Amino acid sequence: MARNPLKDQVAVVGVGSTAYGRDQQRSLLSLGVEAALKAMADAGIDRRGIDGICGSGMSPLAVGNAGFLSVQGALGIEKVTWGKNGWLGSAFVFAVEAVFSGLCDTCLVVQSYRREVNMSRSAARDPFRLRASRFGETGGMGGRDFARRWLHSGEPYAAWMKRYMHDYGVGKDAFGLMAVNNRSHGARNPDAVIQRAITLDDYHASRMVWEPMQMLDMDIPVDGAEAFVITTAERARDLRQKPVTVHAMSLGGTRVGEFYENTLPWTENAFWVAMEGLWARSDLTRTDVDLFYPYDGYTIDAVAVVEAAGFCKPGEAGDYFRDCWDRRENILRLNGGRTLVTTGGGGLAHGRSGGSNLYAEAVRQLRGSQGERQARHADSALITIGSMYHDPSAVLLRAGERR
Amino acid sequence: MRPVAALNDHEVFDRYPDELIDHDNIDHYRAMAERRLVIRHCQDCGYWIYPHRPICPECLSENLRFEEVSGRGTIFMETRLHQLRDPDASIVEPIVAAAVELEERTGLRYLSRIVNCRIEDIVLDMPVSLTWIEEDGCIWPAFEPAAG
Repeated sequence: MARNPLKDQVAVVGVGSTAYGRDQQRSLLSLGVEAALKAMADAGIDRRGIDGICGSGMSPLAVGNAGFLSVQGALGIEKVTWGKNGWLGSAFVFAVEAVFSGLCDTCLVVQSYRREVNMSRSAARDPFRLRASRFGETGGMGGRDFARRWLHSGEPYAAWMKRYMHDYGVGKDAFGLMAVNNRSHGARNPDAVIQRAITLDDYHASRMVWEPMQMLDMDIPVDGAEAFVITTAERARDLRQKPVTVHAMSLGGTRVGEFYENTLPWTENAFWVAMEGLWARSDLTRTDVDLFYPYDGYTIDAVAVVEAAGFCKPGEAGDYFRDCWDRRENILRLNGGRTLVTTGGGGLAHGRSGGSNLYAEAVRQLRGSQGERQARHADSALITIGSMYHDPSAVLLRAGERR
Repeated sequence: MRPVAALNDHEVFDRYPDELIDHDNIDHYRAMAERRLVIRHCQDCGYWIYPHRPICPECLSENLRFEEVSGRGTIFMETRLHQLRDPDASIVEPIVAAAVELEERTGLRYLSRIVNCRIEDIVLDMPVSLTWIEEDGCIWPAFEPAAG
């Protein structure tokens, strides 16, 4: 008999459908939002009652279609704590999982389909369908229209750096010190692709890429992979490793959608939503965190996570980092010195694996298995990976079994 | 305002061969080909809708119309591209990629190039106005420092 803890725990409370037709002359998004509005009306729940979205398609980058980012933007749903795309039968299952696990309470599932050009001769003559099939799951990235350039681009992160410096009247200390911290940790990690520590002067001297973002603000592209096995706490008791327990999680979705120039204000971006969602689900608070892994795809991500987590006020990360700086080791020590940041060196030193190495490093530290690099205080770890524009994770892990 | 239906759908696809044109944005490209920048405007609540959406994300109305914007705005954020994703692409001088906040509503931003000025004269929040450039046979909007 298989385990089935979700038995009788999750229900369908609303259904909505569009008309079906061979040529509706509408976008996938238009069909999807009509069905969504009808389902919400059927349930008697308005958009403020939705906190999770499973959109259409296989790729999370399927912008312009009825993916979760586009659906949230089109419906003006301010905040969600879970979002994902799925198709065929999986979308429904993903949504049930999310509700059962507590990552959201009320999930909207939107599945939008089209008569594709490879399914009909007349469809193959329709320029709309042809264009849609050509750009497939990417939603139009890679064209020549400059206005679509910031669909999932790195450049708007550089633009935010400048806006942050302008609005708060600060220099690049916060970004530079985060880079120095990660490179110092990388220098002690034999698995890091770059094991040379840097100074703040090295940071400032690095090549300008997307002004004001420099080379040392950016993670190091590498070939590599991480994997994890996740099971129940009960099963973990019989396995060989000391378990690391998931205490709480959240994602963070905002109505900004896929065009990043339409960014929300700094303190309303997706990291803030994810962090609010996490603290609302957690018994621990910021001062209980022993180890902290803010995503460092770009240093501005890490600075945003530090501020969203509440370690300092918005715009004050630079001053805060100077107050927390360990001059001997050239690293950050938060929470009165106890909390280390991005042991292992993260994307800026160990290498770029989409933040998965931050989870791996956190798990090994919480096991206490990192030898010379083992942190003295390692009972809890906060890991936040992702984008200020869409679905970042916020995860609190704890050492050992919790009963 | 002049009628939008100057080019038929096939002509719009021909004018912009490398863009994802769909039923929610084709009128935007149709007008662009005539050097007019149009954005959907909710006829019920007055909200200017961008990126292109099939309904109004503010009040959920379907009563929308593409209308020409004034072309006046300010630079909300910008970065200067010294290097492109393509490692073989060379840039003579940095390209300025700017999110221009249009005057029609707070937060209504259109990503564009800043042209016709020295890069060192560009600052955040500076007023800019719409102009047009032609590139590889396509007509594109761009912004330049506002006169005066």
